[in-house]
Amino acid sequence: MSSGDLKFYYFDLQARGELTRLILAAAGRSYEDIRFGFDKWPEYKPKMILGQAPVLELADGTQLPQSLTIARYVAREAGLAGSDNLESAKIDAVVDTQKDVNETYFSKVFPEKDETKKAEELKKFLDETVTKHVENLGKLKKAYSKDEKYFVGDKLSWADLFVFQSIQALLQAVPEVKGKFGEQFKPLMDAINGNENIKKYLDARPQTAF
Amino acid sequence: MATYKLYYFNGRGRAEVSRMIFAAAGEKYEDIRYEQDKWPEHKSEMPLGQMPVLEFNGTKLPQSVSIARFLAKQFQLAGKDSFEQAQVDAVVDTINDCVTKYVPIRREEDEAKKEELTKKFLAEELPKHLQNFETLAKLYSKGGHFFVGNQLTWADLLFYDVGAIILQVDSNAFNNHAWLKDNRAEVEKQPKIAEYLKSRPNTPF
Repeated sequence: MSSGDLKFYYFDLQARGELTRLILAAAGRSYEDIRFGFDKWPEYKPKMILGQAPVLELADGTQLPQSLTIARYVAREAGLAGSDNLESAKIDAVVDTQKDVNETYFSKVFPEKDETKKAEELKKFLDETVTKHVENLGKLKKAYSKDEKYFVGDKLSWADLFVFQSIQALLQAVPEVKGKFGEQFKPLMDAINGNENIKKYLDARPQTAF
Repeated sequence: MATYKLYYFNGRGRAEVSRMIFAAAGEKYEDIRYEQDKWPEHKSEMPLGQMPVLEFNGTKLPQSVSIARFLAKQFQLAGKDSFEQAQVDAVVDTINDCVTKYVPIRREEDEAKKEELTKKFLAEELPKHLQNFETLAKLYSKGGHFFVGNQLTWADLLFYDVGAIILQVDSNAFNNHAWLKDNRAEVEKQPKIAEYLKSRPNTPF
């Protein structure tokens, strides 16, 4: 399987691209990991289907936009999207729930330029949003998990990778969040960190600001 | 025999695309609607204290988009193969990007501010989104009237529903977008959908 048959275009950042890179790593799937700085973006933008990134490009040049659509597709191809329609839907529900929280951070906290306002929004985010979110993740895990570790059923899915990546990214951006997740996700984080393919990828991936 | 129950408020909102999927597929379900004053007593019954929720053979699923995708896949309205499913998802996400930009404006309580924001949205924001919808349709529609693969999928149903809201705000919104107008007309023409649109409850939202 040549790496030429799949191309992933994104900035040299984790942000909205890292989930797909993690899924491809977990799957042991080779691909061309095309990364560019903001300065190169004007060259790439007109080549991207909606003028946005990330984009997944197949061998025949067909492009797919939208980070979570791309992630779901590569996960499905890799057998990381559930074993039937209901499992896929449970996975999607966990992903949507995590996405809601990420978007709250990106829309309310991250862009705030006023230092005082930012601190206010951050406090609200930590005290209200994250607290509720950890509760919600716990409820979904209780309802859908068949073991101690994974969110849905008893095997790794892209929902696990999305929560893993989101928690990591949040910890990097907001170290104060550390205590909020408690111990309930430790078995999952350990399992993912211990996964051979993922460990190899994590050890080698470029260090980026976010 | 599969059983489906859909829980939501008595309105279209985030549940309507799922109702349209059931209708398009000719599939039966219990359309449970809670009035605002009855909702508090049912909130704790929902996985995340929110609606819509789909109960499928006793299992509850939250998150409106996940619910719709599940139903579409159950009833072969999600794309013919894995890649078409992804193309449909891409259209859905792109439509939802537009919805996400509009929702805070719709919720604005100050009427004067709301009017200003709406004008700005129509002039500066909406055109980009409509252009994106057409770009995807051009690449994915295989020359047909529907967004993906020359057959009806839930992407068309979602666009129909969201389109109705856009047209409420500006009835001229699609005047320069013939393909989008035509797509909605095709959806409306489908016999099961036409029947559903005629008979569904008329609600404020």
